[in-house]
Amino acid sequence: MELALIGVSHKTAPVEVRERLAFPSDKIRAALASLLERTHATEAMILSTCNRVEIVAHGPDAQLVQDFICEYHQISADDISKHVYSYKNADAIRHLFRVTASLDSMMLGEPQILGQVKEAYRLASEAGTIGSSLSPLLDRALAVAKRVRSETGISQSAVSISYAAVELARKIFGDLTGKTVMIIGASKMGELAAKHLKRNGVGSVLVTNRTFERAVEIAKIFEGAAIPFEHFTDHMEHADIVISSTGAPHFIITRPLAEQVIRNRRNKPVFFIDIAVPRDVDPSVNDIDNAFVYDIDDLQQVIDANMKERMKEAGRAEEIVDHEVQAFCTRMQSREVAPTIVLLRETLDKVRREEIERYRRALREMPIEQQQATLAVIDQVTQSLMNKILHHPITLMKEMSGDPDGAEFIETVRKIFNLKLQ
Amino acid sequence: MHVQLLKLALGLYSVGLLHSVFTVLRKKQTLFKPAVVATLIGFACHATSIFARVYEQRTFPLSQRYESFSFFAALAVLAFLIVYWRYKITTLGIFAFPAIFVMTFLAVLQAYNAQDSVPELLRSRWIYIHTPLVILGYVAFFVAFSAAVLYLLQEHELKRKRVFNRLPSLEICDDLAYRSLAVGFPLMTLGILSGALWAQQVSVSWMNDPKILLAFMTWLIYLLLIHYRLIAGWRGKKAAYLAIVGFVGVLVTFSFSTGFHANFHP
Repeated sequence: MELALIGVSHKTAPVEVRERLAFPSDKIRAALASLLERTHATEAMILSTCNRVEIVAHGPDAQLVQDFICEYHQISADDISKHVYSYKNADAIRHLFRVTASLDSMMLGEPQILGQVKEAYRLASEAGTIGSSLSPLLDRALAVAKRVRSETGISQSAVSISYAAVELARKIFGDLTGKTVMIIGASKMGELAAKHLKRNGVGSVLVTNRTFERAVEIAKIFEGAAIPFEHFTDHMEHADIVISSTGAPHFIITRPLAEQVIRNRRNKPVFFIDIAVPRDVDPSVNDIDNAFVYDIDDLQQVIDANMKERMKEAGRAEEIVDHEVQAFCTRMQSREVAPTIVLLRETLDKVRREEIERYRRALREMPIEQQQATLAVIDQVTQSLMNKILHHPITLMKEMSGDPDGAEFIETVRKIFNLKLQ
Repeated sequence: MHVQLLKLALGLYSVGLLHSVFTVLRKKQTLFKPAVVATLIGFACHATSIFARVYEQRTFPLSQRYESFSFFAALAVLAFLIVYWRYKITTLGIFAFPAIFVMTFLAVLQAYNAQDSVPELLRSRWIYIHTPLVILGYVAFFVAFSAAVLYLLQEHELKRKRVFNRLPSLEICDDLAYRSLAVGFPLMTLGILSGALWAQQVSVSWMNDPKILLAFMTWLIYLLLIHYRLIAGWRGKKAAYLAIVGFVGVLVTFSFSTGFHANFHP
């Protein structure tokens, strides 16, 4: 199997280079066709996302693929050569597995890449450039990614402010269905957090802002209710989650206010998410029973802890990938051993028959019965001779099929006996 | 045969005990699924053991200490399995598995104490009413206690802003504690009432029996808890503390064997 993977990613190339090398999805079909033509590859796939452009191909010359990329995007080779990486066989398989499992992503463990690989696979299948070599490889890459996701915690915990807010809310309320969130102040981050909460089941949204029109605007996005800023404290007891991000220079949610709100709620918990700097919520509110205050640093701390956890899990994911790469290579090699053995037997048997045919003429003088008896003996002797000679090499080939150097060995056998697999 | 089955159940429950020990030591969930499966099979053995006894004696086996312990343990297992099935709280196992193991272990120990049965004086149908009610009440209070402990742990973590854990959410813990209280309290009330009626029937004086006084005090703690929850809107931390105090009362009551419980306990 001659597999090559050539590409650039966020780790090797700045965005100015990546954007020039990107393949728009509507052009990929045509690009694949000319790629096969130009590089003598038999199969190929193009993966083009905002963080990476990679070409996986079977049987091409890596240099020709790089030339193709330059030609296609009309870039000089010098401009990209220092950014391009190129892997072969086992290394290419490992890279593909790692990319699909999100181990090579900018945000470790992010889930989008799996979908992007699937999409690239689909496009290449439609273009007819996927065959018996790439198809099992890509199927395996997707399976490995799923295995990594389910067996390690690499994409489990939240690593952004808004996801952390959802994760924390779940720790307090369990199911978020039917909960109410109040947004105080209009900020992008507050809006984003509210959006994630809403997507995770939060029922109603209350919005308040010093400029009432802005509150109305945001309320419209969430199909919520706008509340005049002067009255927001009266409505706070309805909110299970309060996201505050005003530009106020002092605390707008003081301890007495929070105590009153909790009392009015008959001790139902409130989760205060304070993403304002300077802070909006008096930190001592956290000391009140059933009130939980997380400011921007607390959320960041949660994210850092989760990120560390992801890193730890990535180690386990790498082990899974290593294991899978080895298993895949073994399977690929043994797939090639069997036809080689069959071909070896057939080739030698052909030689044997041809030789017997030549000697048949020399036996013409003999009476017919004797002739047949002699031929039978010759047939038997040559057959057993062939089997004896082949016994050790074939055993060795079968053994070597599980070995990392197996491919080379099988290749040597093919060269020695001049075996050409179809 | 029933003792052998109970021992088999005990052996299977020990997987749960291992789960708790390793999970606490390694601070990482270990062996949970095997523990649940083993407990499920163990429960089947346990139930078979009880039914074998029913078949043998033609009455429900509650008249010996061994039998009521075994019954107690079986109900605890059932309660755990139901709560797990309903709430999917895996952390509950850390409390439930050892409790189940200890109770079954006590039952197995008592199995060789055959003459330890209810005195002639107390033989009456009340035993089949009083004992199951009290035992069910105890089990429900144990669930409430475990949920309260989980609540306090999670609350502590959230206030300290450490959130990387597998503890259930506060609302689930509180909900579970409240529900099991709502189930346990009426059962315990009826249990105590039936005990009083039973005593009256056999005309035993029970007013100055410490065990019964303790039971009554424990009942009062739970009454207070229900009162505060309903009237004052107590929940969360305060309610959790009171549920723990109540369960300490249960344990103290349970360990006292005085008066006419002396030969027959719980």
